[in-house]
Amino acid sequence: MPRRSRRPRTTLLLLVLAAVTIITLDARGGLHVVTSGVRSVASDAFSPVRSGVNAVVEPIGSFLAGSIHYGSVREQNQKLQAEIDQLKMQSAESADQAEALRQLSALLHLPYLNNLQSVPAEVTDFGTSDFAATIDINVGRSDGVQLSMPVVGNGGLVGQVVKVSHHTATVRLITDGQSAVGTRYGPAPGSLAVVNGTGPGKPLSADLVPSNTPLTNGEVFVTSGLQGALFPLGIPVARVVSSHTGDTASQESVSLVPESDLNHLRYVSVILWGPNA
Amino acid sequence: MTRGEVARLSLVVFIFVVIQETVMLDVRIGGVHPDIMVLLPIVAGIIGGPARGATFGFATGLVSDLFLPTPFGLSALVGCLLGFGVGLATIALDRTAWWLAPLAALGGSALYEVTYGALGSILGQPQMLHVALVRIVVVVSVTNTVLAIPAMRLVSWGMADASTEGMPTSDAGVGAAR
Repeated sequence: MPRRSRRPRTTLLLLVLAAVTIITLDARGGLHVVTSGVRSVASDAFSPVRSGVNAVVEPIGSFLAGSIHYGSVREQNQKLQAEIDQLKMQSAESADQAEALRQLSALLHLPYLNNLQSVPAEVTDFGTSDFAATIDINVGRSDGVQLSMPVVGNGGLVGQVVKVSHHTATVRLITDGQSAVGTRYGPAPGSLAVVNGTGPGKPLSADLVPSNTPLTNGEVFVTSGLQGALFPLGIPVARVVSSHTGDTASQESVSLVPESDLNHLRYVSVILWGPNA
Repeated sequence: MTRGEVARLSLVVFIFVVIQETVMLDVRIGGVHPDIMVLLPIVAGIIGGPARGATFGFATGLVSDLFLPTPFGLSALVGCLLGFGVGLATIALDRTAWWLAPLAALGGSALYEVTYGALGSILGQPQMLHVALVRIVVVVSVTNTVLAIPAMRLVSWGMADASTEGMPTSDAGVGAAR
C-alpha cells in the first residue's frame, strides 16, 4: 500500500484557516481598514495599466473585426461597404453623443437634489464580479467621494459607494442582494418601508408594508431621510409594479422596479453627503 | 520554490489579472463575464499536485479579492480548496494527456462558481445565491475549457520546478503516478 504524504493536507488546513481568519476579521471590521486600504492601493496602481491595455486592445479588436468582416468581398464592395459603415458609425456616434448629452443634462437638473452638492461621474465598468450588482465610476477620494455616499442617476437612486480609491470608486446598485434602502410611500408624511435588492436584473422587494395596504401600480417609494439614514430625504428609489397579500401573510408582498435605468447607466452623480451631514 | 520561479509565477499572475480586468470585463455573454483567474488553481493543481495547487490557489485568490466587491478572502478560500481538489483528483492520471486540462477546467470552474456562491451565502452574503448561477457556471466553465491549454502552458513555464508533493511516497506509488 503506498503511503501518502501528510504535507498537502496540513498545507490545505493551514491555508483554509488563514482564509477563514481573513474573511472573519474583514467582516468584523478588525481587518477591514487594512483590506480596504490594500484594495484601494491595488485599484490605484492598476488603473493606468487598465487604461493602457484598453487603449492597445481596442484598436486591435476593431482591426480583427474589420478583417473578418471584409475579408471575402471584392475591392469595390469593400469601398462601398466602408462608406456605408462610415455613415452608420457617424450616425451611431451622433445618437451616442446625443444620449450622453441627454444623460448629462438631466444630471444637471435633478429636482430631488435641492441644495445638495454632487460630483458627476462616468460609469467605467459594469460589475467586476458576477456575484454582485456593482458599477465602477471614474471619481474617487480626490474628488471628495467617500464611503457610503449616495449615487443617483437621472431617474432616481442608483446605489451607494462601497469602495473608494484615489481616482475611482465602486458603487453597489440598489438591485444588489445586500442593498437595503429606508423609504417612504403613500400620502404625506408617508409610511415607512425598506426596499431590498434581490439580485442583478431582478425586481426589488419591499419589507414592512402591512397587509392589505392599498398600493397602486406606479406608486413611487422615496428615501425616508430619517435621522441616521444612509440616504438624504426624497430621492425616488423605485416604482411599484405589483402587490398582493397572501392569505396568512402579515405583510404585503410588493414588487418594484428602480426609477433609474440601471441597465443603461453612463453618467451618474455622487451626492457629497453622509449620514452625519 | 526558487526566486526565478516566484518571479515567473508573479508574471503569469500579473498577465492573468491584466487580461481579466481589461479584456474579460468587456466580454459579456448573457450578462456574465468570463473569469480566467479560476484557471490558475486548476492548472497549478494539475502541474504541481495538491499542496502547490492549494498554495497557488490561495495566493491567486487573494490577488483576485483585491479587485472584487465580494468578501475579502473568499476567492482565496475557494481557490485553495479547488487547487487541492484538482491536484488530488488528477494525481494518478497521465498529466501530459492533452484533454486533462480542458476537462479539469470544465469541472473545476463549475465547482468553483457553485462553491463560491454557496460559501459566500454561508458567510453572510445571501445575495450570492440570488444570481443567475447556472448562467455563470456555463459561461465561466466553457470559456475556461477553451482557454485551459494556453493557461496550462503559461503556468507550466512558471512552475518550471514542479514537484511531486502529495503523490504516493513509496517507489511503486511514485512510479505509478509518473
